Amino acid sequence: MMSVIRGIITIYLVTFCFAQEATKNVSFKTGNDLAVLRFEGWAISDPLTEFLTEELRETIRELDIFQVQDRGITNEVNIYYPRTKDYWACWSQECAVDLGRRLNVNYVIAGNIQKKEDNEFLINGRLFSVDMETMINEFAMNSSGITDSLLLEMKKMAYNVSGLPVPDTLSVGTDTSQVMTTDNIERKKDWFKLPPIPTKIKALLMSTALPGSGQIWVHRKYPGYGFMGTEATLGVAALIAYYQYNKAWGGFEKNYNAYQNGSDPHTLIELRPRVIEYASDTRKYNAFMKNIRSVASSIWIVNMVHAYLVAPSDDFFDGEYFFDLEYKPDVNQFQFNINF
Amino acid sequence: MSTSSNSISIFSYIRISIQYITLSSLILILSCEEAEYALDNPYDPANIDLDPPALFFHPPEINAIMNDTISVELYGLELGPAAAAQLRIRYEYEALEVDYVEAGPFFAGDNDPIEIVDEPSDGTLDIFIYYLPDMNSDQNEGGTWSIATVHFITKQIRGSALEWVQDSTRLRDENNLPVNIKDFGDGWVNVE
Repeated sequence: MMSVIRGIITIYLVTFCFAQEATKNVSFKTGNDLAVLRFEGWAISDPLTEFLTEELRETIRELDIFQVQDRGITNEVNIYYPRTKDYWACWSQECAVDLGRRLNVNYVIAGNIQKKEDNEFLINGRLFSVDMETMINEFAMNSSGITDSLLLEMKKMAYNVSGLPVPDTLSVGTDTSQVMTTDNIERKKDWFKLPPIPTKIKALLMSTALPGSGQIWVHRKYPGYGFMGTEATLGVAALIAYYQYNKAWGGFEKNYNAYQNGSDPHTLIELRPRVIEYASDTRKYNAFMKNIRSVASSIWIVNMVHAYLVAPSDDFFDGEYFFDLEYKPDVNQFQFNINF
Repeated sequence: MSTSSNSISIFSYIRISIQYITLSSLILILSCEEAEYALDNPYDPANIDLDPPALFFHPPEINAIMNDTISVELYGLELGPAAAAQLRIRYEYEALEVDYVEAGPFFAGDNDPIEIVDEPSDGTLDIFIYYLPDMNSDQNEGGTWSIATVHFITKQIRGSALEWVQDSTRLRDENNLPVNIKDFGDGWVNVE
C-alpha cells in the first residue's frame, strides 16, 4: 500500500517537473495578438474617446498586421479580472504588461487624447510587447480641427503602429477626403454594427439557450459547468427513461392491438396481463420523465436567474438604457428605475 | 437619456428572451402520451360471466346461413391438469348436423390425443378425448385451451341452443380423479 502511494507521489512529481519545463518552452513563442486599451481622454468626452479608440482598433485590424482583440473582450478585463494593484491610468509599462497578460495577447496599445486648446488635440500612444515586457514604440500626434481630423490622426497612428507607410490620402487631409472617410465610417456603423446588448441580458440569453453557458461566459466556470453538467445528467437520465418508455409503449401498442383484434380466448388471456404490464411501465417511465422535467426546468430557471445575477453590470447601461437599481440615501431605500 | 432606436433594441432583446424562455418551457412541459386502454374484448374469458374452472362454447353465438359449415370450440377455462375428458353436448338435430370433430390443443402433448365421438341419441354428441402419455407426463398442465372443435352443417332455418349435459360431462386426471368444473357456458346458433 505504501509503495503504491510512493509511486503515485513520484509520478506526480515527475509530471509536475515535465509540466514546468513545457511551460517554459511555450512561453518564448510570440504571436501577433494585439489589444487596444481604451484611450484616456483628457478634457474630451468619454463617447468621443471610445469612438476614436475604436477607430484605431478597426484601422489596425484592417491593415492585417496584428490580430486585434475585440473591444468587448478588451473592456471586460476590468470587470472579470480585478487587478491586485489599481492604476490611475494604464500608461505605464507595468500596467500595460499586466493587462496584456490577463487579456492573453502579445502586444498592447495604450494611450491618451488630450485637448490642449479649443481646437487642438494631442494624441499619445504606446506600443508594448507583453512577451518581452517592454515598450516597443511611442507615438505622438498633433491634431488641430474637428473630429474628422482626429479620426485621420488615429488612422495614421494605426499605420505607424503596424509599421506601414501612411498613405498620401491620409497625409494630404483635404476636406473632401475627410468627408468621404466620415461617410464610409457612418455607413459601416449603420449596416454592420449591432446595438450593444447588456452583459446581463447576454448571459441570461446564453444560459437560457444552453444552461451554464452564460456563467462560463462571464468566467464563473464552476457554477457554469455545474449547471451544464447537472442538466446534461438529467438530460441523459430523461433520454434513458424515454428509451425505456418508447420500448414499453411499443410493447403496449403491439399487445393491445393484438388483444383488440383477437378472438382466441387462450391468446386473449395471455395478452391481458401483458397489456396491463406494458401500460404500467409506460406510466412509470412517463412519471419518471415528468419528475426529471420538473427538476430540470427548476434548475434551468435557477440557472437563468443565476446567470443574470452573476453577470457584471455594464456601466454604460446604468440609468441610461435599461433599468437600474439605485440606493437613494435621502429616502434611505432602493429605487428601481426604468429608462426607455 | 436614450434614443428611440435604443428603446426598440431593448424591446427586441426582451422579446427574444421571452421567445427563448417560452420555447424552453414548452420543451420541458411537453410530456409523452399516457397508455389508455380498455380490456373489453367480448371473447376475453375475463369478460365472460363464468366462474372458473369452467367449460364454455366459443364463440358463444354464431350466425350462419343454411347448408353452411360452422365451427364451435368446446373450451376449458382455467381447468386443472387432466388426462381424459367426456364432453356431452346437446343441440337441435333438426337444425344442425355434426360434420366432424377434431381434438383441440388441451390434450395435445408430445403425442396427439385419442379421440372418440359418439351420438347416443338424436341431438346429443359425446366426445371422449384421452391424453396420450409421453416420457414427461401422464396428463396435461391444464389452463385455458380449446378441448375440441365441432363442425356442424346447418340444415334448417331456425335457431339451436348448444348446451352442456352437465351430468355426463367430466374430466379426469392421471389418477382417474375428477377434475373440478364449477361452471358451464352455453352457446347459440342462429341459422337464417
